[in-house]
Amino acid sequence: MIISNREEELSQLGSSSTTYSYSYDPKLLETFENAHQENDYWVTLNADEFTSLCPITNQPDFGTLIINYIPHIKMVESKSLKLYLFSFINNGEFHEDVVNKIGKDLVALMKPKYLEVIGLFYPRGNISIHPTFSYNNGENYYQELEKHRFFNRNLNPQRIG
Amino acid sequence: MKLTKVTIQKNSTIEYSSKELLFLAKSGQPYRGSLHIYFISKGETFDLLTFKKYITSLRSVTLNAEDIAYTIYKKIDDAIDSKKLGVIVDLTSRGGIQQRISFGKKFKPVVKSNIFQV
Repeated sequence: MIISNREEELSQLGSSSTTYSYSYDPKLLETFENAHQENDYWVTLNADEFTSLCPITNQPDFGTLIINYIPHIKMVESKSLKLYLFSFINNGEFHEDVVNKIGKDLVALMKPKYLEVIGLFYPRGNISIHPTFSYNNGENYYQELEKHRFFNRNLNPQRIG
Repeated sequence: MKLTKVTIQKNSTIEYSSKELLFLAKSGQPYRGSLHIYFISKGETFDLLTFKKYITSLRSVTLNAEDIAYTIYKKIDDAIDSKKLGVIVDLTSRGGIQQRISFGKKFKPVVKSNIFQV
Protein backbone atom coordinates (compact mmCIF):
# COMPACT_ATOMS: atom_id res chain seq x y z
CA MET A 1 0.00 0.00 0.00
CA ILE A 2 1.35 3.41 -0.99
CA ILE A 3 0.40 6.43 1.08
CA SER A 4 2.04 9.57 -0.20
CA ASN A 5 2.11 12.83 1.70
CA ARG A 6 -1.47 13.85 1.10
CA GLU A 7 -1.22 17.11 3.03
CA GLU A 8 1.37 18.28 0.50
CA GLU A 9 -0.75 17.17 -2.45
CA LEU A 10 -3.89 19.05 -1.35
CA SER A 11 -4.29 22.80 -0.87
CA GLN A 12 -8.06 23.16 -0.33
CA LEU A 13 -8.95 20.37 2.10
CA GLY A 14 -8.39 21.64 5.65
CA SER A 15 -7.67 25.17 4.48
CA SER A 16 -8.78 27.80 7.01
CA SER A 17 -10.26 29.97 4.27
CA THR A 18 -12.15 28.78 1.22
CA THR A 19 -12.78 30.92 -1.82
CA TYR A 20 -15.80 29.99 -3.92
CA SER A 21 -15.53 30.60 -7.63
CA TYR A 22 -18.76 31.47 -9.45
CA SER A 23 -17.42 30.91 -12.93
CA TYR A 24 -16.42 27.57 -14.43
CA ASP A 25 -12.93 26.65 -13.30
CA PRO A 26 -11.53 23.13 -13.83
CA LYS A 27 -8.26 24.26 -12.22
CA LEU A 28 -10.02 23.93 -8.85
CA LEU A 29 -9.82 20.15 -9.11
CA GLU A 30 -7.12 18.43 -7.04
CA THR A 31 -5.97 14.84 -6.79
CA PHE A 32 -4.30 12.56 -4.31
CA GLU A 33 -2.52 9.31 -4.96
CA ASN A 34 -4.44 6.04 -4.94
CA ALA A 35 -3.00 3.99 -2.07
CA HIS A 36 -4.52 0.72 -3.31
CA GLN A 37 -3.36 0.55 -6.91
CA GLU A 38 -3.13 -3.23 -6.76
CA ASN A 39 -6.93 -3.43 -6.47
CA ASP A 40 -9.72 -2.45 -8.81
CA TYR A 41 -12.48 -0.80 -6.81
CA TRP A 42 -15.40 1.51 -7.42
CA VAL A 43 -15.61 5.04 -6.08
CA THR A 44 -19.01 6.73 -6.22
CA LEU A 45 -19.44 10.45 -5.61
CA ASN A 46 -23.00 11.83 -5.31
CA ALA A 47 -23.56 15.55 -5.76
CA ASP A 48 -27.19 16.43 -5.01
CA GLU A 49 -26.85 20.20 -5.27
CA PHE A 50 -25.57 20.69 -8.76
CA THR A 51 -26.86 23.83 -10.47
CA SER A 52 -26.09 25.69 -13.66
CA LEU A 53 -28.03 27.95 -16.03
CA CYS A 54 -29.89 27.31 -19.25
CA PRO A 55 -27.61 28.87 -21.89
CA ILE A 56 -30.58 30.24 -23.83
CA THR A 57 -33.02 31.51 -21.16
CA ASN A 58 -30.59 31.93 -18.25
CA GLN A 59 -33.08 30.13 -16.00
CA PRO A 60 -31.46 27.98 -13.32
CA ASP A 61 -31.28 24.22 -13.70
CA PHE A 62 -30.82 21.77 -10.84
CA GLY A 63 -29.84 18.14 -10.67
CA THR A 64 -28.04 15.31 -8.97
CA LEU A 65 -24.74 14.14 -10.42
CA ILE A 66 -23.48 10.62 -9.81
CA ILE A 67 -19.82 9.98 -10.59
CA ASN A 68 -18.63 6.36 -10.61
CA TYR A 69 -15.04 5.51 -11.36
CA ILE A 70 -12.31 2.90 -11.01
CA PRO A 71 -9.14 4.75 -10.04
CA HIS A 72 -5.71 4.17 -11.47
CA ILE A 73 -2.99 6.33 -9.89
CA LYS A 74 -4.81 9.59 -9.16
CA MET A 75 -8.08 10.14 -7.32
CA VAL A 76 -10.16 13.31 -7.18
CA GLU A 77 -10.31 15.01 -3.79
CA SER A 78 -13.93 15.62 -2.82
CA LYS A 79 -13.68 19.19 -1.49
CA SER A 80 -12.00 20.31 -4.69
CA LEU A 81 -14.77 18.50 -6.59
CA LYS A 82 -17.38 20.40 -4.55
CA LEU A 83 -15.75 23.74 -5.39
CA TYR A 84 -15.44 22.76 -9.04
CA LEU A 85 -19.10 21.74 -9.26
CA PHE A 86 -20.18 24.98 -7.54
CA SER A 87 -18.21 26.89 -10.18
CA PHE A 88 -20.92 25.99 -12.71
CA ILE A 89 -23.46 28.15 -10.82
CA ASN A 90 -23.49 30.98 -13.36
CA ASN A 91 -22.50 28.91 -16.39
CA GLY A 92 -24.88 28.36 -19.26
CA GLU A 93 -24.86 24.64 -20.06
CA PHE A 94 -27.22 22.18 -21.70
CA HIS A 95 -27.63 19.12 -19.50
CA GLU A 96 -26.09 16.86 -22.13
CA ASP A 97 -23.08 19.17 -22.52
CA VAL A 98 -22.35 19.67 -18.85
CA VAL A 99 -22.31 15.95 -18.08
CA ASN A 100 -19.83 15.37 -20.90
CA LYS A 101 -17.75 18.39 -19.86
CA ILE A 102 -17.45 17.16 -16.27
CA GLY A 103 -16.64 13.65 -17.47
CA LYS A 104 -13.87 14.91 -19.76
CA ASP A 105 -12.43 17.17 -17.05
CA LEU A 106 -12.28 14.24 -14.62
CA VAL A 107 -10.70 11.96 -17.21
CA ALA A 108 -8.06 14.59 -17.99
CA LEU A 109 -7.42 15.07 -14.27
CA MET A 110 -7.22 11.46 -13.10
CA LYS A 111 -6.74 9.24 -16.14
CA PRO A 112 -8.88 6.58 -14.43
CA LYS A 113 -9.35 3.02 -15.64
CA TYR A 114 -13.07 3.62 -16.04
CA LEU A 115 -15.36 6.59 -15.32
CA GLU A 116 -18.98 7.53 -15.78
CA VAL A 117 -20.96 10.66 -14.93
CA ILE A 118 -24.74 10.44 -14.70
CA GLY A 119 -26.86 13.59 -14.56
CA LEU A 120 -30.35 13.39 -13.06
CA PHE A 121 -31.77 16.82 -13.78
CA TYR A 122 -35.03 18.25 -12.43
CA PRO A 123 -37.89 18.38 -14.92
CA ARG A 124 -38.34 21.41 -17.13
CA GLY A 125 -41.55 21.58 -19.14
CA ASN A 126 -42.50 18.19 -17.68
CA ILE A 127 -39.39 16.53 -19.12
CA SER A 128 -36.34 15.52 -17.13
CA ILE A 129 -33.07 14.75 -18.88
CA HIS A 130 -30.68 12.06 -17.61
CA PRO A 131 -27.53 11.97 -19.75
CA THR A 132 -24.62 9.61 -19.02
CA PHE A 133 -20.98 10.06 -19.97
CA SER A 134 -18.67 7.05 -19.90
CA TYR A 135 -14.99 6.45 -20.56
CA ASN A 136 -12.56 3.53 -20.54
CA ASN A 137 -8.78 3.65 -20.71
CA GLY A 138 -8.53 1.40 -23.78
CA GLU A 139 -7.61 -1.80 -21.96
CA ASN A 140 -9.78 -4.69 -23.08
CA TYR A 141 -11.25 -5.36 -19.61
CA TYR A 142 -12.48 -1.77 -19.19
CA GLN A 143 -13.68 -1.60 -22.78
CA GLU A 144 -15.85 -4.66 -22.03
CA LEU A 145 -17.03 -3.06 -18.81
CA GLU A 146 -18.07 0.14 -20.60
CA LYS A 147 -19.79 -1.84 -23.34
CA HIS A 148 -21.72 -3.88 -20.77
CA ARG A 149 -22.83 -0.82 -18.84
CA PHE A 150 -23.69 1.05 -22.03
CA PHE A 151 -25.86 -1.77 -23.38
CA ASN A 152 -27.60 -2.19 -20.04
CA ARG A 153 -28.24 1.49 -19.34
CA ASN A 154 -31.70 2.22 -17.99
CA LEU A 155 -32.73 -1.37 -17.48
CA ASN A 156 -33.58 0.01 -14.04
CA PRO A 157 -34.79 3.56 -14.72
CA GLN A 158 -33.76 6.04 -12.07
CA ARG A 159 -35.84 8.56 -10.20
CA ILE A 160 -34.63 11.49 -8.18
CA GLY A 161 -35.64 11.04 -4.55
CA MET B 1 -37.47 42.55 -8.12
CA LYS B 2 -41.15 43.42 -7.56
CA LEU B 3 -43.90 40.82 -7.17
CA THR B 4 -46.86 41.57 -9.43
CA LYS B 5 -50.25 41.42 -7.75
CA VAL B 6 -53.01 39.18 -9.17
CA THR B 7 -56.67 39.52 -8.14
CA ILE B 8 -58.27 36.25 -6.99
CA GLN B 9 -61.18 35.04 -4.84
CA LYS B 10 -61.09 35.85 -1.14
CA ASN B 11 -60.51 33.15 1.47
CA SER B 12 -58.72 30.65 -0.79
CA THR B 13 -56.06 28.73 1.09
CA ILE B 14 -52.92 28.84 -1.03
CA GLU B 15 -49.72 26.86 -0.69
CA TYR B 16 -46.69 27.19 -2.93
CA SER B 17 -43.61 24.96 -2.79
CA SER B 18 -40.29 24.91 -4.57
CA LYS B 19 -37.34 22.56 -4.23
CA GLU B 20 -35.12 25.01 -6.08
CA LEU B 21 -34.18 27.65 -3.52
CA LEU B 22 -30.56 28.75 -3.62
CA PHE B 23 -28.79 31.65 -1.92
CA LEU B 24 -25.29 32.32 -0.62
CA ALA B 25 -23.90 31.91 2.88
CA LYS B 26 -21.54 34.53 4.29
CA SER B 27 -18.71 32.10 3.52
CA GLY B 28 -19.67 32.25 -0.14
CA GLN B 29 -20.88 28.66 -0.19
CA PRO B 30 -24.30 28.24 -1.78
CA TYR B 31 -27.18 27.10 0.44
CA ARG B 32 -29.77 24.82 -1.15
CA GLY B 33 -33.21 24.17 0.18
CA SER B 34 -36.94 23.73 -0.25
CA LEU B 35 -39.34 26.61 0.16
CA HIS B 36 -42.94 26.33 1.40
CA ILE B 37 -45.43 29.21 1.55
CA TYR B 38 -48.93 29.24 3.05
CA PHE B 39 -51.58 31.97 3.24
CA ILE B 40 -55.28 32.67 3.01
CA SER B 41 -56.13 35.20 0.33
CA LYS B 42 -57.78 38.51 1.00
CA GLY B 43 -58.53 38.86 -2.69
CA GLU B 44 -55.02 38.83 -4.11
CA THR B 45 -51.93 36.76 -4.69
CA PHE B 46 -48.72 37.33 -6.66
CA ASP B 47 -47.92 36.39 -10.24
CA LEU B 48 -45.83 33.20 -10.22
CA LEU B 49 -43.55 34.33 -13.04
CA THR B 50 -42.42 37.35 -11.05
CA PHE B 51 -42.12 35.14 -7.98
CA LYS B 52 -39.91 32.68 -9.88
CA LYS B 53 -37.71 35.59 -10.98
CA TYR B 54 -37.50 36.79 -7.38
CA ILE B 55 -36.49 33.32 -6.15
CA THR B 56 -33.91 33.10 -8.93
CA SER B 57 -32.51 36.52 -7.95
CA LEU B 58 -31.63 35.11 -4.51
CA ARG B 59 -28.88 33.02 -6.15
CA SER B 60 -26.56 35.98 -5.85
CA VAL B 61 -27.80 37.25 -2.46
CA THR B 62 -25.75 36.67 0.70
CA LEU B 63 -27.75 35.94 3.86
CA ASN B 64 -27.50 34.27 7.21
CA ALA B 65 -29.43 31.01 6.83
CA GLU B 66 -31.66 31.98 9.75
CA ASP B 67 -32.86 35.11 7.90
CA ILE B 68 -34.04 33.46 4.70
CA ALA B 69 -37.62 32.71 5.81
CA TYR B 70 -38.11 36.28 7.09
CA THR B 71 -36.64 37.74 3.90
CA ILE B 72 -39.13 35.87 1.72
CA TYR B 73 -42.00 36.51 4.17
CA LYS B 74 -41.33 40.25 4.06
CA LYS B 75 -41.19 40.26 0.27
CA ILE B 76 -44.61 38.64 0.04
CA ASP B 77 -46.12 40.66 2.89
CA ASP B 78 -44.99 43.91 1.27
CA ALA B 79 -46.49 42.86 -2.08
CA ILE B 80 -49.91 41.48 -1.19
CA ASP B 81 -52.54 41.65 1.51
CA SER B 82 -53.10 38.18 2.99
CA LYS B 83 -54.12 36.34 6.16
CA LYS B 84 -52.04 33.82 8.10
CA LEU B 85 -48.96 34.08 5.90
CA GLY B 86 -46.27 31.55 6.77
CA VAL B 87 -42.92 30.66 5.18
CA ILE B 88 -40.86 27.53 5.84
CA VAL B 89 -37.41 26.85 4.40
CA ASP B 90 -35.81 23.42 4.73
CA LEU B 91 -32.10 23.69 3.99
CA THR B 92 -29.89 20.82 3.00
CA SER B 93 -27.34 19.75 5.60
CA ARG B 94 -24.11 21.66 6.11
CA GLY B 95 -21.50 20.03 8.31
CA GLY B 96 -24.02 17.33 9.18
CA ILE B 97 -26.55 19.85 10.52
CA GLN B 98 -30.02 20.19 9.02
CA GLN B 99 -31.82 23.53 9.38
CA ARG B 100 -35.51 24.35 9.10
CA ILE B 101 -36.27 28.07 9.30
CA SER B 102 -39.84 29.39 9.54
CA PHE B 103 -41.51 32.75 9.92
CA GLY B 104 -45.17 33.69 10.41
CA LYS B 105 -48.09 31.26 10.58
CA LYS B 106 -47.18 27.72 11.61
CA PHE B 107 -48.34 25.11 9.09
CA LYS B 108 -47.47 21.61 7.92
CA PRO B 109 -46.07 21.79 4.39
CA VAL B 110 -47.05 19.34 1.69
CA VAL B 111 -43.98 17.23 1.02
CA LYS B 112 -43.89 15.08 -2.10
CA SER B 113 -41.96 11.85 -2.16
CA ASN B 114 -40.02 12.90 -5.27
CA ILE B 115 -39.97 15.74 -7.73
CA PHE B 116 -41.95 13.72 -10.29
CA GLN B 117 -44.99 13.40 -8.02
CA VAL B 118 -47.74 15.67 -9.37
